[in-house]
Parts: sequence; structure tokens; C-alpha cells
Amino acid sequence: MFYMKFSKKIFLLLVGAGFLLGSCKKYLQVNVDPNHPTTVPPTVLLPTTTIGIAFANSNDLGRASSALVQHIAGVANQTQAYDVFNFGGAFDNQWNNELYDNSINNCIALINMDSATSPAYSGIAKLELAYAFSLATDIWGEVPYSQAGQGAVYTYPRFDKVQDIYQGNPGAGITSLFDLVKSGLADLAKPGTLKPKADDIVYAGDLTKWTRVGNTLLLKFAIMLTNVNPTLAKSVISDVLTGNNYINDNSLDFEVPFSSATGNQNPIYNFNYINRPGDQMLSQRLLNLANSLNDTLRLAKFFTRPSGAFVAFDNGANSVAPLQATRSNYGSYLIGTTGNAPIRLLTNFQVNFILAEAALVLGTSGDANTYYQAGIKASMTKVGMAAADITAYFTANPTVVTLSGSNEDMRKQIITQKYVAWIGNGIEAYDDYRRTGYPVLALPNNPGGDDPTVIPTRLPYTNGELTTNPNAPNPRPLVDVKLWWAKP
Amino acid sequence: MRKLLLWGSMLLLPCFLFAQTRTITGKITDPEGKPVPGASVLIKGTRTGTSTQTDGSFSLNVPEKAKSLSVSAIGWIDQEVVIGSRTSIPIVLAAKDKTLSEVVVTSLGIVRDKRSLGYATQQLKADQLADKGSVNIVGALEGKVSGVNITSASGSAGASININIRGITSFTRSNQPLFVVDGIPISNDVDRTNGGPNGTLGDNQPANRALDIDLNNVESVNILKGPAAAVLYGSRAAAGAIIITTKKGGTANGHTEIIAGSSYSLQHAEGLPKVQNQYGQGTNGIYNPTSSSSWGPKFGSTPTVANGLLVGGQPVPYQAYPNNINDFWQTGNISDNSLVINGGDAKSNFTASGGFLKQNGILPNTVVQRSDVKFGGNTVFRNKIHVGGSVTFTNTLQTGILGGNGSSAVNGVLALARSIDLTGSLKKGTYQNADGTNNWPITGADNPYYDAYKDPLKSNVTRTLGSLNIGYDLAPWLSVSYRLGIDAYTDRRKQIFAISSARVPLGQDLESTIFRSELNGDLIISAHRSDVFIKDLNVTALVGQNINQRRSQVVTVQADALAIPGFYNASNGGNFAVGSTEATTVQRLLGYYGQLSLAYKSYLYLELTGRADQSSTLSPDKQTFFYPSASAGFVFTDALKINSDILSYGKIRASVAKVGSDAPPYLLSNTYSKTGYGNNVASFSFPYGSVAGFGLSSTIAPQSLAPEFVTSYEVGTNLGFWKNRVSVDAAYFNTVSTSQIFQVGIPPSTGFATKTVNAGKMTNKGLELLVTVTPVVSNNFKWDISANFTKIVNKVVSIFPGVTSFGIPGSAFIGSTPSIKVGQPYGVIIGNVFPKDSATGLRTVNSGTGLYSTALANQVLSNPNPEYTMGITNTFRYKGFNLGFTFDFTKGGQILSFTAASYKARGAWIETAKDRDQPWILPGVIVSGGKTVQNNIQIPAQTYWGVQGGLQSEFNVYDATVFRMREISLGYDLPAKLTKGMHINYIRIAVFANNIFHVAPNAFFDPEVNTQGAGNIRGLDLQGAPNARTIGANLKVSL
Repeated sequence: MFYMKFSKKIFLLLVGAGFLLGSCKKYLQVNVDPNHPTTVPPTVLLPTTTIGIAFANSNDLGRASSALVQHIAGVANQTQAYDVFNFGGAFDNQWNNELYDNSINNCIALINMDSATSPAYSGIAKLELAYAFSLATDIWGEVPYSQAGQGAVYTYPRFDKVQDIYQGNPGAGITSLFDLVKSGLADLAKPGTLKPKADDIVYAGDLTKWTRVGNTLLLKFAIMLTNVNPTLAKSVISDVLTGNNYINDNSLDFEVPFSSATGNQNPIYNFNYINRPGDQMLSQRLLNLANSLNDTLRLAKFFTRPSGAFVAFDNGANSVAPLQATRSNYGSYLIGTTGNAPIRLLTNFQVNFILAEAALVLGTSGDANTYYQAGIKASMTKVGMAAADITAYFTANPTVVTLSGSNEDMRKQIITQKYVAWIGNGIEAYDDYRRTGYPVLALPNNPGGDDPTVIPTRLPYTNGELTTNPNAPNPRPLVDVKLWWAKP
Repeated sequence: MRKLLLWGSMLLLPCFLFAQTRTITGKITDPEGKPVPGASVLIKGTRTGTSTQTDGSFSLNVPEKAKSLSVSAIGWIDQEVVIGSRTSIPIVLAAKDKTLSEVVVTSLGIVRDKRSLGYATQQLKADQLADKGSVNIVGALEGKVSGVNITSASGSAGASININIRGITSFTRSNQPLFVVDGIPISNDVDRTNGGPNGTLGDNQPANRALDIDLNNVESVNILKGPAAAVLYGSRAAAGAIIITTKKGGTANGHTEIIAGSSYSLQHAEGLPKVQNQYGQGTNGIYNPTSSSSWGPKFGSTPTVANGLLVGGQPVPYQAYPNNINDFWQTGNISDNSLVINGGDAKSNFTASGGFLKQNGILPNTVVQRSDVKFGGNTVFRNKIHVGGSVTFTNTLQTGILGGNGSSAVNGVLALARSIDLTGSLKKGTYQNADGTNNWPITGADNPYYDAYKDPLKSNVTRTLGSLNIGYDLAPWLSVSYRLGIDAYTDRRKQIFAISSARVPLGQDLESTIFRSELNGDLIISAHRSDVFIKDLNVTALVGQNINQRRSQVVTVQADALAIPGFYNASNGGNFAVGSTEATTVQRLLGYYGQLSLAYKSYLYLELTGRADQSSTLSPDKQTFFYPSASAGFVFTDALKINSDILSYGKIRASVAKVGSDAPPYLLSNTYSKTGYGNNVASFSFPYGSVAGFGLSSTIAPQSLAPEFVTSYEVGTNLGFWKNRVSVDAAYFNTVSTSQIFQVGIPPSTGFATKTVNAGKMTNKGLELLVTVTPVVSNNFKWDISANFTKIVNKVVSIFPGVTSFGIPGSAFIGSTPSIKVGQPYGVIIGNVFPKDSATGLRTVNSGTGLYSTALANQVLSNPNPEYTMGITNTFRYKGFNLGFTFDFTKGGQILSFTAASYKARGAWIETAKDRDQPWILPGVIVSGGKTVQNNIQIPAQTYWGVQGGLQSEFNVYDATVFRMREISLGYDLPAKLTKGMHINYIRIAVFANNIFHVAPNAFFDPEVNTQGAGNIRGLDLQGAPNARTIGANLKVSL
């Protein structure tokens, strides 16, 4: 009797337990992330990649290269270390967050997403991808390229050689940067229903301008090959000249806009005026160069004169830096009013200098001096010099604005002008310096790092990649090892 | 609804079944009226009975004919109680002399005789915790518990305190133990507010939420150390559990007790580095009013234009301010008042309490203010159903100020050149210009007072903790109960930055609402039978079902670019895009568990448990997982009838346990996130105007995600000598963590930073020892010593194929990254180390500069894990006096100190003034052309200390060995004959001090800090506040 009554209760308990068990499957189905979407339209990826390549160009890599080419001099913290070749622990954020993990992977996502239905996005993404990869390989040399940005497929991306990245290597399955750009141009020419509008923050969806970007990229890549493959360089440039559809006016420049709003400012302003106003200033060496070229009117667009005169600092000097309030910092052309200057990636003045150099050393069509003068004028116009001032400069400085002497002398003139025009975009100036040796730069004071005897010819790989990728060169090449395309 | 009906009908059923019995209730207490839980109450001459609850109460159905009860409890003399016609029977037990036993509250609130346990626990009573100057209950445990490491973030008011039990057992999950209050799991989370760029790196020291617990209301704390102890709590207690029991109502005599307590203490900064007062502001011997260094001219130098002291023909004011740093740390105070009312009898009782604590910290503008009220009660409903519950409401306010690298109050103080007068023109009252802007002459920094008063973080936590218990004894040997608990809090935060603050020059108003709730329900059916199969074999069985749900939501509105100075409201912002976010999570768990405990003749014990969990966060095919445990205890002195005067008690014990843990929610799919670029030096965030930007999230989702496991093997012994005047509790454990859930770093060139995996293995081997000695005991005098020792050796065995190290998730600087590295203990800090010449073992020096060669990256810079820790508490009782003091000692472990770096590189530390005018030489060798020579290149002192003072330099890794006088307290109970006539139980006055002094032989600062507070990142002092010394007095009156 006793036993039976209890089993009844136990039975009820079991029924109760069973009831709870039965409802648990649904109860546990709550693991859907409400904080992050699992699919997105291409319209939100394109702004990410466009800002990404501009940010990568103008943030820490830009500062390091600007210090190495002595546009600026470091006064404190990282820039001061870069100035004397100390890069310990640097550039992870650039490699990771600016290039591979935001620009490159999302360009690839755009390409995979829409090459069939909306080739416009795919085409733009291929151009931006080519730009991002060129930036990486020009800075570091061998970098992950053909297997990069595809984490689900390649966990340990291979490091491709610089020559394979530029020229392709079908045997190794490597498409050249030139072919990547051409594939993008082909996509842009295809009809598609979905086209970018406001999400194309550079050209508001005008694909003809993107086509010019693609052709201009070909020029930029080709001129890098003057030392190592002039034949290819000449043929690419000649083709682009024949097509005549490249950036040939300041209004067509590929420049990524930023604004004055907090969080949307360009990195040059955000760094130099908001977060690290005391870290860097005008290099005494650039000031000396500008003085020697009588080019201080243009310099005043690049750098401020808080006390009326330029106040510069010698690279690597141990001496006490001038009072911060008096220092020449980046000026209106580069920061706008409060961070709303664009970051210029491909420009009309650059194209003119490329074509001048190509005419000179590769024998492509056109007159080097014409291109040279057009380049100077384009730069001076772009920084905001008055037409009268430009004319006055040309009149007063005929030896500066006219190519003369040997081919090498003339090339030095071209690259020196390009170097001045590129103030604020140290990466372009650093590329040209390593490829041509111009302008001639003296070592900073107190150099250190891997090799204190030469200005670094590349930057060191990042710790993050070195520690996680068994395919990374080990030990890493020192920063005095020249890149494939460098001046021998 | 159907569920409810079913349960309702079940609960009613027994009413018709036992009409022929009557119910006896009662409460068993000690002579002081304190409850005796876990006592056995049997109907005399039968095996039918029950045991008392936590509050000492019991309820028993007895046949009409039953005459008396047999009451027994470990440590107490057995008693027989005649029932007579009574239905409510208060029983007062008399203590057995000098026995070694105690009852402890274990998993699920089950009261157990400690002798029956096959694993280690350690219990602390209220008098070991309260009234000793601690505000946070975790701090009150410091130095007193074996197997536990506790380190406070800093002396900042409310700063979180890290606690790890038996080492770190999970790569990336929280390694803080589960906190359980009266059977209800509660949150001990630390919610961080990113105080502007870089804010979490030495931030405003937010609290761990155990801060909300009022120590005045705590009756006891039991620390369940290993997985075996905590297995019934399942996943949530994989890192051990802290079981807190609060004060309960119901005295045996039915009297109401009112305890009023009040204490007041003062706090001062303790252990500050010594500074030099010979050289002032400047660099290279030249005065510079914008410098944050003290490398200027010597005081008393003749002012010249060259040394910068003569400007415009006038000498600049230039003198030492010896206390300018130390005077910034102010005298703090803590006032703590509480009232606890306990009433009722054994059958129905209640407790009501309230407390109010206010702390003004040692940093300016830092406050903790905690108010709490609690009401609870228990009753036996219709003599059948036990019903109990309580509600606690807490309101905790905290104001914190920024520390850490970059512009912060603490860093600002550490960067005070020796000649800056913080009490003069830049003093507290005039730290700003007339228009409210920053008046500090040093660029990139604020006046420390400006940081403190213009850029604080305020937190306002409202927290409700509710519990409900319903229990029913189906039979004398079978009971069922349900316990429901809810812990929910909302932390409303406001972080402001005034316009012109160095960190956020355009100003910011950041409003953040952090909500967390945990719902926990346990159905427990337990049965107890004596003399099963054979005589003296007692069996207790338990089955249970657990339901757990945790929700969180953090909503942040970040208003940047303020328009109106001094108006801190979101409407004043010009931009809301940068940090405004929402993050919502929910995760659920269902658990099913069982426990079988066998006890033979009170000397041989065996316990088996099993638990199966189902978690919402794991892959559907892997979301159900089972884990068992087994433990055994053998009291060999009883079994072998050893009756020695020397060895009075001896037990050996062993256990094996496995605990599985689920994952954080939402790891199973690949997602996209809003894009942001850059860091604290330059950044960009979407939307760009009205254009949105998203990108692939940085983690690759796993194909499948299984739970992670911790398996623990433990052997231990409890020994009592000389009639238990000396007792030893020792344990050796080996814990193996496997199948860890973490995001392993993959090459960033994949386009992703990490991928989620199940992998890795880590071991913790440890020895813990607790020795208690009573050297002297007499009628009026008693001396007790309690000493503990802990040694834990952690080793990361493997991570993931091809991966030898990765950074612990959390905020850290690249270049000093707390890491998980194969072959190393958990948490080593990886950074750059200067290369050494292999022949001499000395650092190599660059022959051109006289400085060290370029540092090698990815080297182990420091190891935060101590070799061992010890604590010792002495207690003396003489008549009404009670004197206790605690010392603790930490041997080894290392700390990377940005604070030390600041003192050195900025020329403030006293040592930097020695021979400053002489040339210095870095110790090392110059290797060139195959020849090695001693470095003889002279460099200036500033350069020398600059090398020594690099923030992430190996020269700022210090041995954290420290000896500390942790606590001292002297209490006095007014003689009973004075108080008796006034209906006063006792009046107790006490004076106490906490963190009295420390001796760190190898560090010139207090190395016992951990700026990141509670969490897995340890061993970093990122310009945090110093520790505080507390001195106070307390008055407690019981009516």
C-alpha cells in the first residue's frame, strides 16, 4: 500500500520532468546574434574599402614613410622612433586592420558577391584591391597576395614575390596587378542593374571616372618597373596613352573625401591636431629644399607658419624641439579646415610626372618637359596657389621648371618635383625615392634600427603576421634588403 | 499553466496520506543562539528522521506514539529530547570539547558535515570578514584562504578585485569563481566603460559586482575550491564557487535580535615611491616649462639664458615641491552603518536589514556609496510546506577617475616635474581657466585635478536579488524543493570629458546603460535512508533539474563634439556615430544532475555525481554534454579506532571530477560589423555622414562547437593533533583543462584576426595547506593561529596546431601583450627584450650609440604568476578583548610597471638624482669583428634612465615578492554585567587597520596591483593608483 502510493507520486514527478524536457529544444534556440548581420548589401562594403585604402595610405604607414623621406621630423613617440629607423612592434594595425582585415578582405567579398549580378561593384573592388596590394608590396616586399583575404580557404596564406605580384606567375596561380586592374576595367564595362550611388563616396557612381582610375593605376604600376622590366613598363604606358582615358585633369583626381565631423576626419588632421599634436613637425631638410627651390609659397600650403616663419626640426636631432605652439605642422591643403581635406591617392600631377619620366627613360610618346611643367602647375593649382603666383614662380625660376642636363639630371628634377607635390603622401615619395634615389637624402641624426647606415628600403613585417603565419619569411628580412624594383 | 497545475496537484496530494501522523518543528541552536545546520534529528529507536536546514530549523512527521527525538550533530554532544505534547521544540546543543568538525554549506546550499567531504572547502565566519576595513567581500578574503589568489586593481574606491581559485583553468572564459548568495548565483561581472580612446587600459577602475554585497549582512563564506566541490553547479562553477550565506532570523528562544553597527575609517595612500628633490622641470639640464620630465637644471643653479632659467632678463621661479605628487593622494574616509533585525521562532521567522556605506577614496573625486535593504522570511505553511524567500535591493554609486597611459589623472600626477606646484597657481581650486578650459602647460596632458573633476565616470547601479524556496517533505526520508532566484541590475553610467580635455578635446558625454539579469531555478529531490542493506550504511541521494538564463544589454550613446561647455547631456552632442552601440545577449542552459552519497559508520564516505547540461551557445549536435565526479573520504582514526593523544583525528580524501563549460553566445555564425579604423592616435568610424560602412567580422565561425572541459584530480588529508589543538588541511591537485573554446589568432593576411576553435590543453598542479593551531587555551585566554600556503604551477601544454602563442582577449598594448604561450604559465607578458651576447650572457651594446642593440620582438617579458603565497592570522582572546592580525606573503611573480617607468624615464625617482652630472654607462658588451669587449661608452644620465624607463622595457619588469601586514583589529566586548540590565546582548567596540604596510624587497613601488582588475590579464601596472591603507573604528550593539 505504502509502496504503491509512493510510486504514484514518483510517476507524477517523472511526468513533470518529462514535460520540462519536452519543451527544452525550443527553449535553447536563442543563439541568433542580434548585434551583427549575417548578410549585407554591397552598398555598405564599398565605403569600408574606399575609406580603408585612404586610411592605410595616410595613417601610420604614411607617417613612417613621410619621416623616412624627411617630409616631416619626429619630435616624440612613434614618429620620432621611425625617424631613426626604430620600428619595433609597429604596423600591426596597418597590416591587419587597415589593409588585410578591412580593405582587402572586403574587396574580395565584394568581388565574390556581385561579379555576376552587378559588375560595377566588382570592377571598383578590383581596382581598390589592386591599389591595396600595391601599397602592401611596395612597403614590405613579399606579401600574401594570391591567397590573401580568403580565410575560409587559405588559413596560412603564401607570401608571393614582388615580381610575381607585379608581373604575374601563371605557374604559381598568381595574377599580376596589371591583369587584376584590367579585369576590373572589363567588369566596369559590363552592363549591370545594381550601380553605386551615394555609397561611392569618391565619384558618386560615375563609372567613367573609375575607368580613368583603372588606367591611371596601370601607369602607377608600370613606372615602378623602370629598373627591372622597362619593356613591360613601356608597353603598358603606351597602351594607356593610346587609350587616352586616364586622370588628366585635377578634377578627375582619385581622392577619398573626409569631413570635419568627429570620427570622419582625415587621419592627418586627426593625428596631428587632435590626438598627437606634439609628435611631429616640418623637417628642416624639406624646408631647406623648398628654400633652395624658392618654393616656400607652395610649402605654406602644406605646412603652417604659426609664428609667421617656418619652424622646422632636423630629423633625428637630440636637441630640444621648438615650442609646440610655434612649430610648422601640416597645413590647409592636407587638413582642410578641420580634417575635411581628402586623401589623394591618384592625381593629375602624378600622371604628368609619370609620363614625363616615362618619356625620358622609356621613350614613350610626348615631351618630358611639357609633362614636367604640367605636373608642377597641376600640383601648384591643386594646393591652392593663385594662377598669378604660379605664373610668377615659373617666370622667376626658369631653371627649376625647365628640364635640363643629362637624362639622369632631368629625372632628378622630375622626381624632386614629384616629391614636393606628394607632401602628405609619404608612401608615393618613398616608393620613388627607393626606385630612383631622388631626391638625395642624407641620413638622419642618430640613426638606429636594423642598419643605421642606410635609409630603410622596406619596412619590417609585423609581429602579428610573423607569429601566426608559418609561411612568413623567417627570419624576417632586415630593412636594408632592397625590393625587387629598387634602384640597384 | 499546465505545468503549474501539475505541480499544485502534486503538492496537495500528501495531505491525504499522512493524517495519522503529527508534525514536529523546531530549531537547533548552539548556546549562543546561533543555528546548527545539518544536525540529525531522528525519532528515537527508528531510522526515520531529518536534518536541520541552514537556519537550524527542522520539521518532522512523527507517529502519534513517538516519545522522543535523538539529536546528533558533529561537534556537539548527542541529546535526547522528550516530545511530550509539544509541536514546536527548540533544542540547544552543548559543544563537545575540542573536536575537529564543522558543518559547511556546499553546492546548491546543501549543508554538509565537513568530515564527509572528499574535497577541499574552506569556510570563513562573519567575525573573520566584517569590521576589518574591507568594502568589497573579495578583499576581505585576502590572505585568509588557501588555494586562492586575490589581487586588487588598485586603491581606487570601488576598484575591482581579481580572484582565481586554484589557478586559471580556461584560456579565455572568465576564471572568476561563481558567486552564490543563499543558493542563488549572482553576477560578479566587471563592466568596463571605454573612457575615451584607450580608456580600458588603466581605466576608471570599475567595480566587480560583488561590491554590492553588504559584508555586515554576511554570516559565512564558504569557498568551494575544486571542480569536485562545485560540480553540482555545473558550468557556471568551473572556476570554483564562493558560497555566501547571509544572516537569518529565528532564534531558539523566539527573541528578536537587533544588531546595529557603525564604523568609520580613514584611508591614505600606502607605499609610494621616493622622489628626488634636486632637479626640476626640463630636459638635458635645460629648464622647459612644457616638459613632463625632471631632467632640468639643478635647484640653486645660477639662472642663465642657456639653462633656461633666465627669460627676458628675469629669473623664472624654480624650486622643488617635495610633496607635489604625494599630496595629490588625499585622505579618504569610509563610513559604514548597518542595522540587522532578526526575529521569529524556529517555525516562522524573518530578517530585515539595511546598510549604508559611503567611501570617499584616496583619489580626488572618487566615491563609492552603497545603500541596501533586505527583507526575508521563512515559515512552515500548514505544517507541511516550507516556504522562504528574500528580496535584497542595492543601490551602488561609484565615481571613478582615469588612470593609465595617455592623458589621465594618475599619469598626470606621475608626470609632475619636481618643480611644479600643484598647490599654487595650478592647485585644486584653480585647475582650469576662467572659461572652464584646461590650464595645463604641458601639451597632450591635463592638470591632474582637471582630469579628476572634469572627466569622471559615474556609475549608478540598482540591483535586485530575489529568491523563493518551496520545500515539502514527502516522507521523513524524501523531500522535494524548488528554488528560484533572480539577480538583475542596471548600471547607468555617465562618462564625461570637458571641452579641452587632452584625451577628448572636443568634449564628450557618454551615456551607457548596462543591464544584466540571471534567472536560476533548481528542482531538487533528495532522499535519505539510514542502514541501507547493512547496518550503519547511510545513503543520501539527490536528483535535480536546473534552468538558467542570462540576459545582458548594453546600450551606449556617445555624444561627441559638445557645443555648450559644461552641459553634459546627450542633446549637446554634435556627433553620435563613433561609439554609440547596442549589444544584447541571451543564453540559456538546462541542467540535470544527480548525487549519490554513501556514508558508512561516519568514517567512510563515497560520493558520486553526474550532471548533463544543455546549452544554447553550442552547436546543436554538441549542445548536450555530461560530466561526472567521484569523491571519497576516510576517517582512519575512527575506522581504525586510533585513540592517540598525539593524532586525534585523521582523514584522507580523494576526488576526480570533470566539469564542462559552454561558450559565450553567438559564436556559431560569420557576421558583419560596423567598420572602424585606427586607434588612439588616429581613428575613423562609420557612418561617414549618412553613409554606412560594414565589413566582415574578424572571427571565422567554427564548423562545430563543443564544450570545454576541466578535469581535476585531488588528494587531501585532514589531520588533528594533540586533541585537535593543531589541525592540518592539505590538498594536492592536478587540474587538466582541455578542448578550450577560444579565438585562435590566425594570420591577419587571411582577412580575419581569429577563428573560433575547440583546442588546447593547460594544466594546474598545486599544493594547498591550511594549518590551525591553538597554542594556548584557558578560561580567559585563547590564542589561535591560522596559516595557509598555496603553490600553483600552471602550464600551457598546447594551443592549436601551428600556434605557439596568442594574446589574452582584453585590452593591452602591443609590445607588452599578456599571452597564452606553449610551455609557459598562463598570462606571461610578451614583448621586446634586448639581445644578449651568448658567450657572456650580457646585453649587447651598439658601438655607435652606447645604447642597447635593437630589441628582439616576441620574447617573454614577464611572468605574473607567483611561486607561492602564504597568509597567517593570529587571534588572541582575553576576557572581552579580541586581537587579530593577518600577514601575507607573496613570493615571486613579476609585474610590468608603467608607473616605475614613469618615475625613472621622467627623472622623478630618487635614484635618478644620484650622480646625475656624471656620465653613465649601460652594463653590457660590445661585440664587433668577433671580439667582445665591456661597454665603456659614456652616456648622459637622462639617456641612461631613458633606456631603463621605456614603458614596455624589460627594465620595468619587477619581482612582485611582497610581504604585507594585511589586517589588524582589536575588539572589546563590554562586560555582560554592564549590559545585561539594559536588555543589551552585547556592545562591541573595535579598532582596525587594513593594508598597514608592505615590504617589497625588489620593487620601489607596491607591486601588488593589477590595473586591469578582475579578469584574465594580470601583472600590469599601467599607471594605476597606489593601494590604500585603512584605519578605522567600529561600534556594534546587539539588542
